[in-house]
Amino acid sequence: MATANPIPDETAVAERATADLVVFVTAMPAEQFKGVLDNLEATFPANNVIVATRNELPADAPRNLRIDLMPPSNSFWMLQPADFTSAAQCGLEHEAKAILILGPGADSLSTPALRSLADAVLTAPIDLVVPHYSLAPHAGLINSAILYPLTRAVFASSARFPLPIDLGMTPRMAERLAATAQRISANNQGEAILWPVNEAIAAGFRMDEVDAGSRTVPQPSDAEINSVFALITGSLFADIEAKAALWQRPRRAALIRRTATEVALSDGTADVARMVAAFRLATANLQEIWPLVLPPNSLLMLKRCSVLEPAEFRLPDNLWARIVYDFLIAYRLRTINRGHLLGALIPLYLAWIASYINVVASGTPAERQIESVAAAFEADKPYLVARWRWPDRFNS
Amino acid sequence: MQNLVTNAVQQASQNPPGSPIYANNVTVWNHMSDALHQSLYRVLTLLIAVLPGILAFFVALVIFAVAGVVISWILRHFLTWAKFDLRLARKSGTDWTPTTSPTEIVARVSFWACVLLGLIIGVSAFDTSYATGTALPITLLPYFTHAVGAALLLAAGILIARFLARSVLISAVNAQLQYARFLSLGVKWLVLVLTAAMVLDHLEVGGNIVELAFGILFGGIVLTLSLAVGLGSRELVSRSIESHVKLTGERTPIPEETSGTVRSIRHF
Repeated sequence: MATANPIPDETAVAERATADLVVFVTAMPAEQFKGVLDNLEATFPANNVIVATRNELPADAPRNLRIDLMPPSNSFWMLQPADFTSAAQCGLEHEAKAILILGPGADSLSTPALRSLADAVLTAPIDLVVPHYSLAPHAGLINSAILYPLTRAVFASSARFPLPIDLGMTPRMAERLAATAQRISANNQGEAILWPVNEAIAAGFRMDEVDAGSRTVPQPSDAEINSVFALITGSLFADIEAKAALWQRPRRAALIRRTATEVALSDGTADVARMVAAFRLATANLQEIWPLVLPPNSLLMLKRCSVLEPAEFRLPDNLWARIVYDFLIAYRLRTINRGHLLGALIPLYLAWIASYINVVASGTPAERQIESVAAAFEADKPYLVARWRWPDRFNS
Repeated sequence: MQNLVTNAVQQASQNPPGSPIYANNVTVWNHMSDALHQSLYRVLTLLIAVLPGILAFFVALVIFAVAGVVISWILRHFLTWAKFDLRLARKSGTDWTPTTSPTEIVARVSFWACVLLGLIIGVSAFDTSYATGTALPITLLPYFTHAVGAALLLAAGILIARFLARSVLISAVNAQLQYARFLSLGVKWLVLVLTAAMVLDHLEVGGNIVELAFGILFGGIVLTLSLAVGLGSRELVSRSIESHVKLTGERTPIPEETSGTVRSIRHF
């Protein structure tokens, strides 16, 4: 591993240097990397932080930072398992007390956010710190609809963003994540996603969430919802299946601290009519697939929803929770091909978005609505556990 | 043969009506009887040659199936006693959680391995006994094997048709095509027609008629689908090109659900 520094006499020191904090910056475009370095220089004292990265060092890089250059890799829109392995390796080499991983677009993270992430690990007995981003109500919708409520209900996790792009952790947490990442790589699951929050809960490590303010969330290069939705939701379902022995035990949800400010709605109205039309089309055409997954009660309620006008369209929270649970059960039982299953969930997800936008437009704060959805998931968890254990008790 | 017929006619004219017809002391009845006897002999010889093989096939299958039941029962009890599931879960972490328990999987695998072994031994015994009778004119068994192959083809065709029909249906619904079900149905029948043609060809039924009918049907379905998709998806294609042009050159492409004054939503 080569270590480079704009200041030649400090480079040799950085080769085997130790630091309290190691910041691992994933591969990202050059201008973003430059912004990250500037922010890091402004946030942390130079003698106490080492930046490890897979990016090429820009010509005008900050002179005071010790930078550990690693073999370059391709930029991706989210953290990859290899990033966790590299971060753990760097932390071990430099005997760090805390490790920060900064994902693509981290130049938009404020310096207080960076400081909070590092301090939470350095000053408190916490193994994993995840940021709570302040996103617009119409952003991060897969997270709001499925990832957050499902993770909260199943794993009793309070993390608002269970699939973070930046995180802080202790070396033992990093080792745990690296071991999981290596297992994923060994199984040739190239596009697999690692869920740090779920891993921390499975290991019994302490976890916290800090307010990170607003951030530019990187978007997948493939703009099609079908592939992104199947990748993320399928990965979470698979992780839940793998940790079934853990989450079926009763757990108390951690205390939720919500300090993030809500971002105001921008002008214009989202195209609810089109999403409702997509849902209606699916209701008319997927009648041979949905009954394989959903019980008659849910199908009847969906039929009732499909006749509502777009402006009045609502998908009850408890129905949405039940739908996601039934799809999770079908995923586990392989009732139908998993690709087909996740594809059949997309129109229902669009229906949830339409309903959510209508609720938010009616004056309900977005965060309150998302918390209401999460509460519905928590309330219906006994149904999930019962059907997970006795899947044949169906069609009730 | 001509002499035989001439003699028979002469004797018939000499003998009074009602008396039996003779030709060199050999009657037509005797010829027919001989032919029948020879045919019966051949079939019986074949059956005698094949019957032990069939019996051996069933005996081997039954013996190994019983052995499989016993072995799987012993394995199931032994692994349960040894807490195999628990040990495996500890060793492999939590990554592998099959629907059926590992003990049950091992027991089932052992049972079906025994059945498969019995099947192989039975078929081998049957094959040996059948080889002794191959000199005899019989086409039933080769046709039977063709029928099994055709049944497998049919089953595979139906499975593939259903899978492709579902794939097309879901993709078309998510692409918001109004004729999603029609498209799915078209693909399903396309595969089913292809399967039917292959099955009939495998059974050597129909000959050229099947090929001709298949060509007409297949071409007809493809043409219908092409017209339906071509006429119906103009808007979809234009929308797709439009969104592609919008996304090009942006730093972080955001999925555009809407256009104009309508606010875009971000799924991730």
